[in-house]
Parts: sequence; structure tokens; C-alpha cells
Amino acid sequence: MHGEYKTPGGKLVVVDCEVRDGRVVGAQVSGDFFLEPAEALTAITAAIEGMPADLDEAAIAARVRAALAPDVVMVGFSPEAVARAVRRALA
Amino acid sequence: MSDRSRWSAYRWHLIRPLPVAAPVNHALDEVLTRRVGAGERHPTLRFWGRIEPEVVIGRFQSVRNEVDEAAARRYGIQIMRRLTGGGAMFVEPPNVITYSLYAPQELVAGMSFVESYAFLDAWAIEALRSLGIDAWYEPINDMTSSGGKIGGAAQARRFGAVLHHATLAYDLNSDRMLEVLRIGKEKLSDKGITSAAKRVGPIRQQTNLPRDVIVERMIETFARWCGGLAEGQVTAAEMEEAGELIRTKYGTREWIYTLP
Repeated sequence: MHGEYKTPGGKLVVVDCEVRDGRVVGAQVSGDFFLEPAEALTAITAAIEGMPADLDEAAIAARVRAALAPDVVMVGFSPEAVARAVRRALA
Repeated sequence: MSDRSRWSAYRWHLIRPLPVAAPVNHALDEVLTRRVGAGERHPTLRFWGRIEPEVVIGRFQSVRNEVDEAAARRYGIQIMRRLTGGGAMFVEPPNVITYSLYAPQELVAGMSFVESYAFLDAWAIEALRSLGIDAWYEPINDMTSSGGKIGGAAQARRFGAVLHHATLAYDLNSDRMLEVLRIGKEKLSDKGITSAAKRVGPIRQQTNLPRDVIVERMIETFARWCGGLAEGQVTAAEMEEAGELIRTKYGTREWIYTLP
């Protein structure tokens, strides 16, 4: 499953995943965004991996936000943008 | 502190284009960023030299979402993953101008990431304008013009330094680009256009000047911008370190397919 969302004036977020037993598995988050430090992508992806596939956008965004260390800087995208790409992948 | 005094606070060194294989350029970006971060090298402007075509994808991009690998193979185009985020580029040596800046993070202290992109490329915009090209910066990281997008920049703050590099389209084989890159509709959704090829406005469509003249003007402009620019080079030790990084990182399948 594949979903994309581009923040207006910002960058593209792409989510590829599968759903098994009602949960998201094999999640990959990618895109042409900027992220510091780069390793934070692992935390973003882990926040989605294993989540219930019926979570709404706000709940997904909250999971992503909670997974980020305070020093993480997302440039051109946001937890909300990731959440929208996830919902589009699952739609 | 004024913008200009930020630049002139350093003694900048220049590395002129040294034609090297595709992975060498990417490895050199990491080596030189590390050296500047460690205080072992002056802040440096490097113009890239190339001998082969490549598709360069951003640090966070997926190979299969961005590249038609069969088409790339057919044309002998390598796929490289760079250290910085941002988008995929199709690169043929005579058709692009790429530069990298390696600087202490203090150069951009107090600026947001978005502000720092425009700040770090302002001299390049000035150089293009001085050649009669109606260029301006379009946040976050695009250099554009009334004739279309000219280039894009990407930045990473690593190893105690800032790496900021940008690639300008001098010319473009757009048919080949569209065969090799996958450019989805969502990416263009806020651009008010439907074609990626129409979006690009290479320098050569806007001026008849040869590529070398553009590069020379950029070097002159940067030197004036910083109040001086010393001739420099990649040292043998730096080149050796780059070779090691190709073996362990930039030339490996693990790195290139970090996000398959």
C-alpha cells in the first residue's frame, strides 16, 4: 500500500506499508523532506510500525510527535503530514 | 551581525572542479564536512567535476519510488544516495553546475533552516542576476527564474559543520530525465503545473553564455561576497579518506538502498 502527501509550499512524504491482522507492518517512510538529525527517521517509522490500521489522522500525528526527541527538526513536513500520507496509504 | 560580515568572518578556500567518478563527489562531501567541523580545514567552496551521468536521490528518498531502475541501467546511469535530504536529480556532466559549501555551524547561527537556505545561496542568485538571468530564491530550497526552475539546494548539519550543496541546471535532456525519474502528480500538486519538464528552466535557455563562464562568474561573485577566496585543493589524505568512505558507505548497496 502506498500513500503520498505534499505539504503546500513544503515537501513530499511517502508511506509504503502493508496491513496484517489490523495492524500496519513493513512501514517505510520516505520523501524529499529535510530532517535533523537524519536518524530521527527511524523513530518516525517505528511510530507507525505496528499501529492499529484504523487510527485517525490526529491519533497517528500524536504517535509520531510523541516518538520524536526534542532536538529533532522537521523541515518541509510535520507529524500531521506523515499522518496524512499514512491515511492515504491505508485508504 | 550583517549577512556580509557573517561570510567575511572566515578565510574561505576554493576547490575548482576536479573530474571524478560519481561516488567520489558524494564521499568528498562527507570528508570535507568532517574536516571543517573538526577545524582541520578552512571553510570551503567546492565546485564539482563529473565524468559520468548519475541519478542522485536524497538521504530520505526511496529508490523504487524515485527511479526507474531498468531505464537507469539501460543508459548506464548510476544511482547514488547523498548525505542530505531533498529530491532526486538526473545529472549529465555537461548539463549541471554543482557546488558544495562546508562551513562551521556558527555561519548560520540563529537562523531557521528555511532562512539559512536562502542565506547560503544568496551569492549564487547574485551571480546569475549579474549575467542577466532573472533569478530569485523560492523557499524552501529552490532557485528559480521567470523562465522556470534553475536549481535546488540541500543541507545537512553534521560532524559539527554545515554542508550545503546546490545543483543548477545548465542544460537538460528532459526526455531522458522523464524516462529515468519517477515524478508523481502529488509532488507537483502545489506548483500549479502538471509537467515536471515544463517546470525546469535551464540557464542555457536564458543566456547563450558557455557553462565555464557561468562558473567563473559564480567564483568571482563568491570571492567578492566573502571579501576573499584562496585557491585550495583536495589533499591526498582527504582523497584517501573519500576512497575508504566509498568502500564502506557511498559505494555500497546497503547505503544506496537504505530505503529501497
